Amino acid sequence: MADPQDVLLRMQDDLKRALKKPVNERRWVMAIDLRKCVGCSACTIGCVAENKLPPGVVYRPVLEEEIGSYPNVTRRFIPRPCMQCDRPPCTPVCPVYATYKNAEGVVVVDYEQCIGCRYCITACPYAARTFDFGSFYNRGTAEKAGLIVGQTKATVYEQAANFEYGVQWTRRGEESPVGNVRKCHFCLHRVREGMLPECVTTCIGRATYFGDAWDPDALVSDLVGLPNVLRLKEELGTEPRVYYLL
Amino acid sequence: MTLKRILYIASILATVVGLYGVFLRFTTGHQEAAYGSYVVWGLWVAMYLFYVGITAGAVVLASLDYVLHLPLFRGTGRLSLVLALITLGAGLFHIWLDLGHLERIWKVYLQGNPFSVMMQIVLGYTLLGLMMLVALYLTLRKPEGMILKWLLILAIPLALFLSGGVGALLGVQAARLFWHVGLFPAQFPVFSLASGVAVLLLTLGFFWDRRDPRLPQMLLVLGISSVVLQVVKLYFLWADFSQSLYGGVPHNVQAVQEVLFGPYWWAFWFGQVLIGALVPIAVLSQPRLARNPLWAGWMGAAILLGFAIARANIVFPALTVPELAALTTAFSDPRLEYRYFPSLMEWAVSVGITGAAGLTFLLAERWLPLVQVE
Repeated sequence: MADPQDVLLRMQDDLKRALKKPVNERRWVMAIDLRKCVGCSACTIGCVAENKLPPGVVYRPVLEEEIGSYPNVTRRFIPRPCMQCDRPPCTPVCPVYATYKNAEGVVVVDYEQCIGCRYCITACPYAARTFDFGSFYNRGTAEKAGLIVGQTKATVYEQAANFEYGVQWTRRGEESPVGNVRKCHFCLHRVREGMLPECVTTCIGRATYFGDAWDPDALVSDLVGLPNVLRLKEELGTEPRVYYLL
Repeated sequence: MTLKRILYIASILATVVGLYGVFLRFTTGHQEAAYGSYVVWGLWVAMYLFYVGITAGAVVLASLDYVLHLPLFRGTGRLSLVLALITLGAGLFHIWLDLGHLERIWKVYLQGNPFSVMMQIVLGYTLLGLMMLVALYLTLRKPEGMILKWLLILAIPLALFLSGGVGALLGVQAARLFWHVGLFPAQFPVFSLASGVAVLLLTLGFFWDRRDPRLPQMLLVLGISSVVLQVVKLYFLWADFSQSLYGGVPHNVQAVQEVLFGPYWWAFWFGQVLIGALVPIAVLSQPRLARNPLWAGWMGAAILLGFAIARANIVFPALTVPELAALTTAFSDPRLEYRYFPSLMEWAVSVGITGAAGLTFLLAERWLPLVQVE
């Protein structure tokens, strides 16, 4: 008989359990069931809203691929967060230690340390890093009051702070995170408060799973042990922490 | 109007254009730049590689005078040192403007990661620049001293290491197959030497005292060296591209095809191969033409143009190949495209830095005793 508990509630319980463990005894991983993903991009939008991402900065695009030939054609959707590699090629190249794997194994960026050289972007084989050029969605739009419906509120929203890494970041002028490299961080600021990453909660198909792989009772540790699991570009030896269920 | 006057006017105009570009850079940040998060490095990085390549070559060539004491090149050492310093300044200014947070450059020196090739190169070029400054000072005060000689002896391996290091900066990137070539750190010092010889050809041809009886012979030796280095460069190019195409790994093939047949194919075939290599080889292999200062000078300029395009053809193509094929359509934004052509601001800055470098050289040539005729 199927477990009546929603997977989100189960993962929530798993998360609370994991947070009681010492930091270095947690292994955050993500599993994405490609059979369930319908390509709605709710996770992409949820991530943009949660992290107040400006134009050109995206942490979790959904890749769409068409497979087969007529009449046997189908589409595949591959959400692509940061892989949080265990052997990340992006961290050793940083000239100032601004990006590194933290105690929880998540690859983070210290916005106040990053000089914006973008070397780490070239090193990532998954294109999981983007640069904050300081743009705003309403830049270049008409400035006359009332000409664009909702412009004022949109401006306020765009300039509201995000809380990445548990710090309040307001994008102003050239101040960080403008001029920095930015990336998915598994919504660490939410996780530390006992909330699942935004992309997990917004997934309408319950296709994204998150949790502590070192907890044998966690849902995610069941999933990453399945034989139909694949990781992107495994041949590079980066040891990604994002697993795809096929 | 003399050539020198034309160069003065061109340099000043270019510097003014550059001031506009730098003004835009400081007032609008990176918003006016055409590079994005996929093609993440653009014209400024290519120009950085170009200029520091010349620096390393010029440092090595200074040894002809101050270390090897070759009578033929006696008096050219100071010219090489000045060229090394000017091109180093031009290269570092390019890369400094490319940073997202220019004000944090000090962190590379005080909080740097010694395992990052980028940090090693920044530190190395700073050290090299300081050594060249001291060397230049010594050439004005104690040109025959042993300190100058030993400074240059130490600077040569450092320059070659740094030049190879720039190759390694790209070569260590396993994510970019087009760069991840073991030969990169070996190729770059050769390119640097070729750039150094070319800049010396250019400056000796246009600025050296025509009354110096050694000039034709100097130009001939440098011309023959250029021919050899250009042939080696073409061989490297052939080896690299033919292996990549034969190997057939899609990411690599796509990048090579971008260079050979992409939107800017003409830059490769006409700029890099024809003007930058084949024409100089044809001209400089004729002793009569190679000894002619004007021909030699123009061929030096042509080789440098070829190298500037070559640097761009190293940096951009690798970045125009999607890491994951479906990324091209996954998210729509001008910063998330796999196409690149420099913006007006980027051109203005590079033209300006080049103009300022030229102007600095012209002033140095006028005020410092650069040309030392025996």
